Amino acid sequence: MSTNPGQEAVLAQQEHAAHDEHAAHEDAGISQFFFGRVPEGVHGGLKQYSLLAIFLGIITLVEFLIIVPEGLQGSGVVIAPLVILSVIKFFCVVAFFMHLKFENPLLWQIFVAGLVLGLIVALSLVLLFGVFRPTPRAFSEPRIEPFEHHVEDAHAVIERPLPDELPPPANPADLAPAAPAGGAAAGASPGQTLFVGTAACASCHTIQGVAQGVLGPPLDGIASVAGNRISGYSAEEYIRESILEPDAYTAGSADGLSQDYQEGLMSATMAGIVLSDEDVEALVEFLLQLR
Amino acid sequence: MAHADTTHAPPAHPPAHEEETTTGINHRKLLMWVFLGSDCLFFGSLIATYMVYRGQSIVGPYPRDIIDVPITTVSTFVLLMSSFTMVMGVAAARSGNQKRLIQWLVLTIILGGTFIGFQVYEFNLFRVEGLRYETNLFSSTFFTLTGFHGAHVTLGLFWLACLAIMAARNPAGRPSDLDVDIAGLYWHFVDIVWIVIFTLLYLIGGFDGPPEAGHAAVQGWNWVTGLIS
Repeated sequence: MSTNPGQEAVLAQQEHAAHDEHAAHEDAGISQFFFGRVPEGVHGGLKQYSLLAIFLGIITLVEFLIIVPEGLQGSGVVIAPLVILSVIKFFCVVAFFMHLKFENPLLWQIFVAGLVLGLIVALSLVLLFGVFRPTPRAFSEPRIEPFEHHVEDAHAVIERPLPDELPPPANPADLAPAAPAGGAAAGASPGQTLFVGTAACASCHTIQGVAQGVLGPPLDGIASVAGNRISGYSAEEYIRESILEPDAYTAGSADGLSQDYQEGLMSATMAGIVLSDEDVEALVEFLLQLR
Repeated sequence: MAHADTTHAPPAHPPAHEEETTTGINHRKLLMWVFLGSDCLFFGSLIATYMVYRGQSIVGPYPRDIIDVPITTVSTFVLLMSSFTMVMGVAAARSGNQKRLIQWLVLTIILGGTFIGFQVYEFNLFRVEGLRYETNLFSSTFFTLTGFHGAHVTLGLFWLACLAIMAARNPAGRPSDLDVDIAGLYWHFVDIVWIVIFTLLYLIGGFDGPPEAGHAAVQGWNWVTGLIS
């Protein structure tokens, strides 16, 4: 194997460093350590490293302070400063704690190659799956998989015996802001939005033009019949109880419906859904309009 | 490298671990850097997966409900300081001060263990609050990424403990300064991965909520729920 001049220089430098290591160690001043050119094999001491640790600690504190104002939390303007600060931290650790600044340049190349490859992988994934969302072209429509089997799967899940321990319900405070995401038509009442959205009523109940569920009784005209279901209950009281205590009364063929419905199904499927008092009132108000 | 052998006299104080290699870099050290480069790809993929699914969870708890930035800032600081104690350990090993080496290693282990303690507390709290691994896209990608990072830290703790025990037991079996150096590289790498995770998952992504109306994730959800009928 031939020896190239670059390698020779590196070797000579290494030997030089090995001889002078202790002297250089003592001599590397702070400014030389951080900013100057120092021979290979030179390292820092307590003074240099504690300065760097304090610097990194301050950066961490600044990063935290940036996101303390509530207006800035999660906003786009903080992204650039936070990324810049963490890149500074990242390369300070690599250069000084991992002493890559004082090493053979080949190690930089190896590490940066891995780092760049990693960044390319990350960027490609984000672009492929997070940013570019092509719309299928017309010719592919007949081939788009029908989703009937999803319906079957969903029924299988609903009919499955319940696990002993149900997952804790989601925080009700979060459900409210998510409600507009329910896909309700523009101008829909809050109750209707809940009905098709987070309250998930639409999964099982039918209302013409709103929902097509089949597992529970249809709710068209519920406001007209609700008052006759249980003696002594007004329509409003009956609807409210049916939401809050679904098992109290299960409507069926005795009420003039086309079939009997499974008892206990609604309380089981609603177990993971938390509705606030306002949500319940909005639903009652919406259902009372269905005459 | 015969050229170098014949023209140069052997160094007066040959360090025990220096070997002649074609690159001029010790093979073990080179291997560690190659590994760290490849680990960038590993964590890059996990971070990208988190970013791809970020803000698409259609059920809670969402990051803004559950992420505690102040506590994690403290644990980030603790891990950062463990990098400082580690580099002091490497310096102690290089100057041959065995006692100091053990002290710095033990300090590093305590700080690293504290970081893991914070993570155990955080994971447990999240679980109790309803964020299980399978709860939503956020929980799955979050636990995978931070869990693998925690596993790296835990492995590093075992490694450092082995070095400390080796150094304490007898002079013959004590770790060379290269042994400590390489363990230090691994330890610092775990620290820089956390620098990235802390910024992206906590400082930037820690306030994410549910997706907005009209988002593809919401449309898909409504489509499926509409079909379940």
